Amino acid sequence: MRRGETIPSGARRTVTGPVKPAASLRELGSVAAGLALLAGASAQARAAGYSEFIDSLQFRGFRAEASYTTDDNVTRAPAGDALRDRILGVRVSAGGVIPISSRTRVSIQGFAGTQRFSTYTGLSNNFIGTQADFFFRASGEFAAPTYGAFVRTAKEEYESTLRDGYRHAFGVTVLKPATDKVQLSGGVTYNITDGKSTVFDAKNVSLRGNADWSLGRWDTVYMGVEYRRGDSISTTGPTLSAVPSPNITDDAFSDSLRTAYRLKASTFVATLGYNHAFSGGHSLDVSWRRVQSKAQDSPPGSIDLSYAVNQFSLAYLARF
Amino acid sequence: MRPLGELDDPRRRILIQALAAGFFSSAGNAAAQLFGKAPGRLPAGQSIFRVTGRVTVNTQLATLQTRIVPGDTVETAPNAEVVFAVAEEAFLLRGASRMVIEKPPSGLTTALRLVTGKVLSVFGRGRPTRIVTATSTIGIRGTGAYAETDPEQTYFCTCYGVADIVANNDPSSRETVSASHHDRPLYILAKGKAGGSIRNAPFINHTDQELALIEALVGRTPPFVFPLDTYNAPRRDYP
Repeated sequence: MRRGETIPSGARRTVTGPVKPAASLRELGSVAAGLALLAGASAQARAAGYSEFIDSLQFRGFRAEASYTTDDNVTRAPAGDALRDRILGVRVSAGGVIPISSRTRVSIQGFAGTQRFSTYTGLSNNFIGTQADFFFRASGEFAAPTYGAFVRTAKEEYESTLRDGYRHAFGVTVLKPATDKVQLSGGVTYNITDGKSTVFDAKNVSLRGNADWSLGRWDTVYMGVEYRRGDSISTTGPTLSAVPSPNITDDAFSDSLRTAYRLKASTFVATLGYNHAFSGGHSLDVSWRRVQSKAQDSPPGSIDLSYAVNQFSLAYLARF
Repeated sequence: MRPLGELDDPRRRILIQALAAGFFSSAGNAAAQLFGKAPGRLPAGQSIFRVTGRVTVNTQLATLQTRIVPGDTVETAPNAEVVFAVAEEAFLLRGASRMVIEKPPSGLTTALRLVTGKVLSVFGRGRPTRIVTATSTIGIRGTGAYAETDPEQTYFCTCYGVADIVANNDPSSRETVSASHHDRPLYILAKGKAGGSIRNAPFINHTDQELALIEALVGRTPPFVFPLDTYNAPRRDYP
């Protein structure tokens, strides 16, 4: 589920609330840590034989995705404060595989992209990140499951300020062909978002399952369900009398004074999609996603903070 | 008092009638047709695992009950597909294809002739086999292979195993490919220069999951563990 919402581009509003120390210091720290990590990794790679390491990396090409999405609740707010918008997205990625043994391998991927909101442009953002997966499969039998563990990190820069930051995820996955037409997958993920404002610091755990149903060689219907429990972030207008804490004046919106807040919530996400492949590594993907979130700790006397979201997406995907 | 055999409970009567009509068997077949089934070694007497669209065996419309044996000709309409096994060999024949499984001239050698179309095949170890296409003749040993042929050229991928490939119109064009995982797909041209009728090709139109599927029909497992991640339908990641 896409987090948070908007701010029209242009003059930025003064914000009030819990904002963390200057990002430049944090970013410097992160860059320093990253450089140290790179130096360490580089030294290890040299020790292990740099050329062998590079030779073992099997490049798996590029992927690109262009999408158009309508979202009827970009504020993730109760019905009275829900705002609708349209989003254009582009994402590119490249990756490779390093075989560790006949039954294990590591996959590394780098990705970058942008999301451009039509109305609430403060929510528009650019992102860049990387993901590493470790996979284990006991045999090449048709139905043998593939187990995985992954770590992902990404840097996000919004047109507004408070949401800027990092997004990390750690998790385990399993993928198993059930029949010659149905493939099942599932996973547990621990998500961490680290925004410039503490309101946008969130942690939650998600449990998800997915089924791919092949209608033929080129057509696949997929269905997914996800249960997410933990921090959720919404933005409300002046209609909300008692705003949960922590909260902050949201700098992503300029249409009226809106407040972003974080609360504990249980969220269900259901996805229904259809993928049509063309020869040569291209496909068209249509999907509907329904999100239903229920607050776990609404403040006394406040209105129900539950919300629902409907997203319709059309995407063109290519690998080359 | 009702005569013997007449049932009082109409629900029991409907259930028994449904059983007698093979309703549940039909429902099971319909579900398998819709959602597929887990592949395993085919029972004795069964040749076809899956049939989609119009497929004929010796010009007779094929069903799951149709037996396929050496000497048969299997033909698929455009957009049709059939997955089947003959002895220790298994095949996935795509649409608009015509394949003849020839009677082996000796006890050790089998042969198949791909007249036109596309076929993914796996062959038992220790069973030398010959594949004849429109433009090439290929001798293989313990191999998984994918071939597409038309009068102009043949695409041939030695998915694993060893293949000796010769261009039909240019015997000086010959290659031996020993592959572990789609190492060297080739085009074999009908009208190439002398000695130059075989060219390198990309990996196209077949997947490791399909190889695992047809190997399962003859009780085997492909030699690789992880499928090559080159399928044709990129999918969206979850955000």
